[in-house]
Amino acid sequence: MSTGLSCGAQAPTPAIVVEALTVAFGSFVALRDLTFRSDYGQVHAVIGPNGAGKTTLLDVLTGKSRPRRGRVLLDGQTDLSRLSEVQRTLAGIGRKFQKPSVFEALTVRENLDLALRLHRRSLAREVLAASGRKQDAIGRSLETIGLASQRDEPAGVLSHGQKQWLEIGMVLISEPKLLLLDEPVAGMSDGETAHTAELLRRLRGGERSIIVVEHDMAFVEQVADKVTVLHEGACLFEGAMREARRDPRVIEVYIGR
Amino acid sequence: MRRAFDPIALTCASLLVLLLVLLPALGLSGALPIYGVNLLGQILCFALLAMSVDLMWGGAGVLSLGHGLFFAFGGYLCAMHLLRTAYAATHTLPDFLQFMGASGFPRWWGFADSALLTLLAVLLLPALLAFLFGYVSFRSRVNGVYFSIITQALTYSAMLLMFRNDTGFGGNNGMTGFHAVAGLPAGSLRAAVLLATLSAATVLLVLIGGRLVLASRFGRLLAAIRDDEPRLRFLGYDTLWLKLAAWCASAALAAVAGMLYVPQVGIINPGLLDPSVSLEVAVWVAIGGRGGLCGAILGAALINVLQFWLASAAPTLWPFVLSLLVLLVVLVLPNGLLDLRNRSRAWMDELAQPLPARLRGRSAR
Repeated sequence: MSTGLSCGAQAPTPAIVVEALTVAFGSFVALRDLTFRSDYGQVHAVIGPNGAGKTTLLDVLTGKSRPRRGRVLLDGQTDLSRLSEVQRTLAGIGRKFQKPSVFEALTVRENLDLALRLHRRSLAREVLAASGRKQDAIGRSLETIGLASQRDEPAGVLSHGQKQWLEIGMVLISEPKLLLLDEPVAGMSDGETAHTAELLRRLRGGERSIIVVEHDMAFVEQVADKVTVLHEGACLFEGAMREARRDPRVIEVYIGR
Repeated sequence: MRRAFDPIALTCASLLVLLLVLLPALGLSGALPIYGVNLLGQILCFALLAMSVDLMWGGAGVLSLGHGLFFAFGGYLCAMHLLRTAYAATHTLPDFLQFMGASGFPRWWGFADSALLTLLAVLLLPALLAFLFGYVSFRSRVNGVYFSIITQALTYSAMLLMFRNDTGFGGNNGMTGFHAVAGLPAGSLRAAVLLATLSAATVLLVLIGGRLVLASRFGRLLAAIRDDEPRLRFLGYDTLWLKLAAWCASAALAAVAGMLYVPQVGIINPGLLDPSVSLEVAVWVAIGGRGGLCGAILGAALINVLQFWLASAAPTLWPFVLSLLVLLVVLVLPNGLLDLRNRSRAWMDELAQPLPARLRGRSAR
């Protein structure tokens, strides 16, 4: 598990390691020689102004965009560059999209049922499998995201916040090693934001690492163990949120006075 | 298996069962003229074709504007079988082969001697074509209108190909001169009743099977593709194979519809490959209502009955009536006629409100 990147006295296990990553679209460089890691048991926030490369980073991790240089290692050993989007998901990378993406015609329970894959090797077996074995996991997930009483409602009638929680539940139900959340509280009411922060704190655990891209500073301060501030595709600051708020460069490009 | 059979589907299935009983009874007793039997049979084939389009469009949100291709493919295969059996009985070559100076059928037509092999070909070959085309398109993530346009282009190029005499399928004139259908003289009352009854049975079977499939996990995965395909892919499903499976099944279904249609009209020519035919199928489905297959049956039946009726009553009016219907559905009933019940309930609720509240609601919009 040696990654050549030590960080602090006791080295936590990295879930994902990004090494010297450069992503460019034509002549526009979205990420510039970025090195980054996220550890198990941590909530890692990625913040920065618009166009800093936050979503691009998530796109590279999930295989939606291809890097020009550099590599991404899951668990410090699995090189992701050859894996397709679907294979990465099955390898343990779950992503919650920025805009709530749930299957509106299906009920909450059916959404979770599809999200939980029992037969990762075979699509045919997955399609034909009876749903009995999934009920326990679906029940637990409904409790976690707090939608147990809406289980038989079509997802289309849920509120914005509820859709976001449902999508988090859908991504979580297959127990990913790395959970990516792209602006989970955008457009949420204060109450919903608080609820989401609470949910995230409960989800933090040794078996998973969580990366959150977010603009809401108060929310980030509540949930993040560590923040990385991106600016023009490069890492500007890494550390605790409290220190980020005091860092003059961060104040200059992002937080403002 | 929830929601597999709602009241509308049950009504639809019961009517089909009734038809299945009445068609032979009324047809063979002479109560229904052969013209009527034939018309019903053709409409049932169109209903089948519309269901095949709805399976993809209502089910997975993938609109094919080229299902005439698979319909005609099945039709041509069936015509080949009918010509071979006609030749076995009469020993006269079809006209188009004589004009080309051929002394016999091309050797590879041999498979069409067997009804079973022909049926297999109808089930497999159009599906294979669909697989090749679908694999290339879906793999390159060609979606939405772009996919629809390519299906049109594919049908159009198939039409150009079939219009050529040296393609070997009768060119412009197509293939006709069938002698017998399943041992019954072509054009006889009994053949017409058999074919129409067979078509009704197929529609019923596909309605039941299709509804079960749509209510299964596979059907829910198709609905998930329709709602948000990237989300499904990022849940670890390779949507390519799910779409391909539905697409190939849909093509095979359209081919079966064509196979049943051709002996009932007694001819097949490249006219069926005209893009406007395929477009019209999408119109039937849109007017009847997408998803659930009942709307497809309703739309196909309604439009075709109207068209047959107007064709004698006021042929020049038809394009206007059809356009008016399309406009009406787009403006008032975007989910098709089957949605009338829900819609009318909403209208009644609105009317039941006192006028000031209604006006407020309107200005708020």
